[in-house]
Amino acid sequence: MTTTVPAQEVQVTEPLPDSGVPGKRPRRRPRAAEAEDRHILSAADWRRPRVRITTNVLHVILLILLVLVGLFPLLWLFKSGITPTQDTLTNPLALFPNGVAWDNVAKAWNDVHIGDFFFNTIAMAAGEWAVQLIVATTAGFALSVLRPKYGRYLAGLVLATLFVPAVVLLVPLYLTILHPPLIGHSLINTFWAVWLPAGASAFNVLLVMRFFDSLPREIFEAARTDGAGTFRLFWSIVLPMSKPILGVVSVFAINAAWADFLWPNLVLADIHIQPLSVRLPQIQSSTDLGVYLAALSIATLIPVVIFLIFQRTFLRGGGLGGAVKG
Amino acid sequence: MTTSTDVRATPAPERQKRRHNPITWVQRGGLTTLLFLLPLLIIFGVFSWSPIVQAVIMSFQKTNLVTPPIFVGWDNFVAVFNDPLFWTAVRNTAYFAFLAILIGYPVPLVVAVLMSEVRRFKGLFSVLAYLPVVILPVVSVLLWKIFYDAGPTGVFNTILGWFHIPPQPWIQDAATAMPSLVLQATWAGAGGTIIIYLAAMTSVAPELYDAAEVDGASLWAKIWHVTLPQLRGILFITFILQIIATAQVFLQPYLFTGGGPANSTTTILLLIYQYAFTNSLGGAYGEATALSLMLAVFLAVLSIVYFRLTARWSDQ
Amino acid sequence: MKSVKPRRLGSKVVALGLVTAASVAMLSACSSDNGGSSDGKVNLVVAPVLPGATEDALTTLATRVKEFEKKNPDIHVKAIEYQWTASTFAAELAGGTLPDVFNVPFTDSKTLANNGQLADITTPFKQTSTADKWNKTVLNVATGDNGKVYGIPWGPYAMALSYNRDIFKQAGLDPDKPPTTLDEIQADAKTISEKVPGVAGYMQMTKDSTGGWNLATATQALGGRLETTGSDGKVTVKTDNDQTKQALSWLQKMRWQDNSMGSNFLWDWSGINQGFASGKIAMYMSGSDVVGSLMQANGFDQSKYGVTTFPVDSSNSKAGILSGGNVDVVNVKDTPEQIAAAVKWIDFYRTQPQVNESDAVTLAKSNQAGKQAVNAPTLPLFDKATWQQYQTWIKPYANIPADNLKPFNDGIFSQTIVPEPPAHTQDLYAALDAVVQAVLTDKNADVDTLLKGVDTKVQALIDADAKK
Repeated sequence: MTTTVPAQEVQVTEPLPDSGVPGKRPRRRPRAAEAEDRHILSAADWRRPRVRITTNVLHVILLILLVLVGLFPLLWLFKSGITPTQDTLTNPLALFPNGVAWDNVAKAWNDVHIGDFFFNTIAMAAGEWAVQLIVATTAGFALSVLRPKYGRYLAGLVLATLFVPAVVLLVPLYLTILHPPLIGHSLINTFWAVWLPAGASAFNVLLVMRFFDSLPREIFEAARTDGAGTFRLFWSIVLPMSKPILGVVSVFAINAAWADFLWPNLVLADIHIQPLSVRLPQIQSSTDLGVYLAALSIATLIPVVIFLIFQRTFLRGGGLGGAVKG
Repeated sequence: MTTSTDVRATPAPERQKRRHNPITWVQRGGLTTLLFLLPLLIIFGVFSWSPIVQAVIMSFQKTNLVTPPIFVGWDNFVAVFNDPLFWTAVRNTAYFAFLAILIGYPVPLVVAVLMSEVRRFKGLFSVLAYLPVVILPVVSVLLWKIFYDAGPTGVFNTILGWFHIPPQPWIQDAATAMPSLVLQATWAGAGGTIIIYLAAMTSVAPELYDAAEVDGASLWAKIWHVTLPQLRGILFITFILQIIATAQVFLQPYLFTGGGPANSTTTILLLIYQYAFTNSLGGAYGEATALSLMLAVFLAVLSIVYFRLTARWSDQ
Repeated sequence: MKSVKPRRLGSKVVALGLVTAASVAMLSACSSDNGGSSDGKVNLVVAPVLPGATEDALTTLATRVKEFEKKNPDIHVKAIEYQWTASTFAAELAGGTLPDVFNVPFTDSKTLANNGQLADITTPFKQTSTADKWNKTVLNVATGDNGKVYGIPWGPYAMALSYNRDIFKQAGLDPDKPPTTLDEIQADAKTISEKVPGVAGYMQMTKDSTGGWNLATATQALGGRLETTGSDGKVTVKTDNDQTKQALSWLQKMRWQDNSMGSNFLWDWSGINQGFASGKIAMYMSGSDVVGSLMQANGFDQSKYGVTTFPVDSSNSKAGILSGGNVDVVNVKDTPEQIAAAVKWIDFYRTQPQVNESDAVTLAKSNQAGKQAVNAPTLPLFDKATWQQYQTWIKPYANIPADNLKPFNDGIFSQTIVPEPPAHTQDLYAALDAVVQAVLTDKNADVDTLLKGVDTKVQALIDADAKK
């Protein structure tokens, strides 16, 4: 994908100033808090009632809008998943006029086999994640730590692919999957068709390279003089130090894999390995609306729950992913 | 970023002693390095570099999958230019990008500025804003497709009915179809941009605001003269990124309308897909790759021009 | 890289070799399960149901597979859900992921046969009991220009008008007297949209090439032709003919004057079936056998189903009804044993029930048990007498009320079957989609210009073929 997203430094909040009283832990005094959090409005601004009231009103309005725009569609989805189809068709915004239809959920699970497709999505994402991690770490290590002579040219070639939009690859990649080199038969309808191409992410490689570049060389030298071989260096020294960047790459990888539609739709025609993103549109016309909404709800609930639990990680790394998706 | 010492800086005498033969190469760890680069070489080679080259070659050929491809020169490009649907797709894609920028560019900025001032419950705001991003894009589109039912009992039309607004055709009318698609795309993507802006805003040095206040700047002035210029870098980047992404929009036209009504939502990506994968009994792969190359070149030129321009603006 | 200790060459090279070999082996090992023989049995992968088939449909299918395997213990059959699409066919063939037996529509079987993309089944076909009884026109669609047979047709249907009897009753219309002319359809649609709010009185397909297909049906029902073949064999595309314009004008009136077509206009085949099954559409143009799919995929209550012939202009000698059907074909890459086994399967699953009473009854019983359509209206494969005989055999198990089907079954034999446009049919249909959509969504659609645009586009494709 064509991205040149700047690396976001992780924000380290400044330590609180000492309260000046020995033995007393500095409390979050309003003044200090404002000095940290203040952006545009200063402490003085906040003291003016007009500013304070206007800002608070604006915030309340914003909150209401966010709830309506961000939360309402989800809530409607969950509600409609357990509403009888006829009610959703005739009176979509009423609240259970004729009771709850729990069997929508049961049917979504048993007839639509949402669980199976969920599993496929996870399998797909896990494989893509693994391939991306392997490619990025090994390549980043080789190019950044081992630094072969031809490393610069290789990195240049990798960087070049960053500027090629994914669409160019669509048809030839499809034909490559049909007739891969070395292997005798096509990879269509196997997870390999999705896993392997995912590894060709220049963005990941460059991210990891930059991170490795920032690691102190002295550690490598020290390990070498201690007699560590290259593999040991990679496995026991560099990788453990790379947890932060691996985390970022993982978030991107899993995000992208989870959301991917065009490519899996093209290469995974066999129903049994289709992920959610491919299967759900296909069954829309042959599934009762209530059951369908229940299926969509199940497909949504799990990522939402995961998001709510791991908010911090998402909001730090995922924000970049959002920009990449546009 | 810490600067790193170049491991390759070997002292001169050893360099001269080095001979280019395979054994020393392996002894110096060349094979190991190659081993480490193997995943990159294989994956990129087979699934990235080779397809790119193939794309260029295929755009000058006529391929069906049965007989060997024939070289046809510029025919594919000419065929694309002569296809009236191509010009429609260009127009539609530009329209989508334009609307997406119109709605999707300022809104996250405004929201981020507002949100940056929130004292309490900032997390709540962030979570709510980001929630639409967490939903699977496919699920989001399918959900909005139901919202957009054009009958009077469609979800959105019911809501409009509360305000005595007549039911809208949404995706059933060429005039409103593209805006409907953009609306959903913006809803699904704005959260990510908001979070980015928020993060960027925290890196604005407070001293700048202090200095501005000392100069007697009003609230507006502070935003205009401090916040926005500081955000300039990230604003420029998200702008071009958004253009590049919207130029390749596929999901919304494909799932919402299939390119209709009457080709009013057929975008370039959808056209490429149609060339390659929906022509009966064997696609026009040559034209598909030709069009994708044309798009790539256009985006590349656009990016270069853009970065030149913005570099000049940043200097001013 | 100035490492101090000399490395051991061997281990590195071995490691490299192992990794490569392992990867290649891993990837080669995951081959798609594609037949061949093992332990003396011939393996077949057959694809007789569409994706999204209900549990009942799948159970019925499983029963049939078991019956077949009992009769043919040397053949092992695996049945999958599958939808054949023209667009991915070439790729699937090249990639070797096609099932052994799958079905293609009438419109494509000859082209595929002539392209050498289907297996030649002439020899095993001639050994089937019904080989000589076939209706020549029907068998022709599966025959290549070289005279060899490449598939076995089944389920031929004619275009028809499906309608919801319940909604008719609600609107005060008599479900046993469905409309017989285009004007009557228009009138009934208007009544329905007025009396039963929220329901589209009439609708037809508009997306994914089905828009053109339906428009072609309407055109030919009025006596027009979208393509004409000259005496020199050259095909001319003329979509801006009077009958097509008349058909579009009919739609225009219903949409903009009567407002009897509802508010949603982007319908493909499965979408409109769902719309009908969920009671949002009262009447629509469909294949005569669509009730089978309505029951299989949409779980439709067949007692509400009604079908009649689509009105054909009897005053015009060129007017006729479009027909279609399916052909079960065999993967061209199969071995001769597989091809013979495949023909046996197709004969068992599709043909025998039409000519053999006990097979017909078995099939009817299992369909009935699985809540699948027993007596969906189809056209004769062989001759009318055989067809009528078949109807009597399955009558005791029929689960669609015969009265519901009467208007179609009575009327169809007096309609002339006319073939579809011959050249670049799917491309023509795809181009016409936009015209139909425009007419339904844009009050001021310039039909003449739109149709002329289609003419230019498709004619260019046809002319390009001639140059090759």
